[in-house]
Amino acid sequence: MPHPGGRTLIPALMAAGLLTGCVANPRSTGETHDRWAPDSGATAIASAGRNDSLEPGALGTVRAVRVEGWMGPGGRPFEVAVRTRDLESGHARRFGTITLRTTLRSPSPDLVQYPCASCHLGRTVAMKDTRIGDAHQNIQPRHPALLGSVCSTCHSPDAVEMLALRTGERVGLDYGYRLCAQCHFAQADDWAAGAHGKRLDGWQGRRVVMGCSDCHDPHRPAPLPRIPFRAPTILRSGGH
Amino acid sequence: MEAPDHTRAGPRPQDGSLLQKPVDRRRALTVLAGAAVAGVQALSACRPLTTLSEEEREVKLLAWREYIKGNYRFMTEAERAETIARLERQALLQRGTAVTIQSTGAQPGVVFGYAFNISKCKGFRSCVEACINENNLDRNADTQYIRIFEMEEGVIDLDDGDATFQHEVPAEGHFYMGTQCFQCADPPCVKVCPVGATWQEPDGITVIDYDWCIGCRYCMAACPYWARRFNWSAPNVPVPEVNTNQHYLGNRARKTGVVEKCTFCIHRTRQGRLPACAEACPTGARVFGNLLDPDSEIRWVLEHKRVFRLKEDLKTEPRFWYYTD
Repeated sequence: MPHPGGRTLIPALMAAGLLTGCVANPRSTGETHDRWAPDSGATAIASAGRNDSLEPGALGTVRAVRVEGWMGPGGRPFEVAVRTRDLESGHARRFGTITLRTTLRSPSPDLVQYPCASCHLGRTVAMKDTRIGDAHQNIQPRHPALLGSVCSTCHSPDAVEMLALRTGERVGLDYGYRLCAQCHFAQADDWAAGAHGKRLDGWQGRRVVMGCSDCHDPHRPAPLPRIPFRAPTILRSGGH
Repeated sequence: MEAPDHTRAGPRPQDGSLLQKPVDRRRALTVLAGAAVAGVQALSACRPLTTLSEEEREVKLLAWREYIKGNYRFMTEAERAETIARLERQALLQRGTAVTIQSTGAQPGVVFGYAFNISKCKGFRSCVEACINENNLDRNADTQYIRIFEMEEGVIDLDDGDATFQHEVPAEGHFYMGTQCFQCADPPCVKVCPVGATWQEPDGITVIDYDWCIGCRYCMAACPYWARRFNWSAPNVPVPEVNTNQHYLGNRARKTGVVEKCTFCIHRTRQGRLPACAEACPTGARVFGNLLDPDSEIRWVLEHKRVFRLKEDLKTEPRFWYYTD
């Protein structure tokens, strides 16, 4: 497997939980939003080093899908990064207590999300809104408060890994922006235009942005307070 | 035979006389200074050059050639390549770091602009940390290009803003506003430099030739945003922490007595990448892009959001805007 070319950027992206092992999936159905389906429409970008490609290097290792329903500035299409099973994803890092690389057994190498059946082998997982604390105590939904903050507000009742839109449509976790935008439509427009969220790697070239849940914990979206990096010791002077 | 006419313009006759050779001021100083150094070496009790090891001689030769080089702005491509080769060699010999120094020029049709969302910044200072690491800022003096001001909601007053907060953030009832070099379109710092060591590049980045700066600090006095920093001592960056991806006009090694500043990470942005601060921001408060591209994110922000610039009345025309959601 070729090594990604980005040098200093890679740790930053790893911290964001986005850098993948660059698994090029030869199969691409490209017609559904279902993340259960193998690599649905995901664009596996060939790994290209910074030095041998004009493409900003780190994007060479990011899997991304084209965003549907929104256009970027100037009416240009853009992509949102998705996660693969090869990396401890932002989702897993924030919500899971297990190390996915070693304990999650994905039944198919093509799956790029984390089906319940990976741990709950051979069983049907029943989702009960009132019993969230039984198993996954690290998930304490506080959002969306106005809609009740229960699992079935966003998750499909018969498949927790799927998101249920208000229209009844079911989409995979990588299309969370479609779910979020149902209420946060103004933020979604800003996100599509670049005024909200983060663009990966470069200001030039392919525009790949981070998805909603890459920054926000969907169950508790506000950023958690923390101690900042150290304060400056050289103080301003000269009346400026 | 007719006597040569020395009053005529054009090449002078080569008659072997030193005084009649075309000699510019720089070359004359070079020769004279070289002779002086050789003289001092010969007369003093210190070790003569001939007793130095090969490496010591190379170090001294590199330092000497670096000392007499010209202003980067007026160098030819060949001269730039030569000085970069020398600097890279110096870094290896003297600091033990194998660095790569770029001389990448501005991309045509690009002028950089920056937008900062004061609704989003939470004061984590991740940008400050990234900036220090990316730009090889002095760890001893704790140089920081970026300041994040904590201010009470309702009024923007930097005089009352606190840049030294050290408590859990975001604090209730406060907002955060970052400052750095704004890469002004009409930069007062450039105007006051008496030696032409700082100038504005075609893509709008104001840069410094650290080897031409005389350390007078006029530019620091002229800047209304306190965006420049002075090296009171030789900057110290531990070898394992040195960012080896460098630019001549950016994050290469500085020395005692010169001024430095934010260059929008010139070594990254000229290659299409984001500045380190924008990349590191965990809240997405920083938007960077090409002001000349009508389809860029920065242009969308400027056209659709309520924006303002700091101390706009001074007419420095910063290329750094603040906006709110």
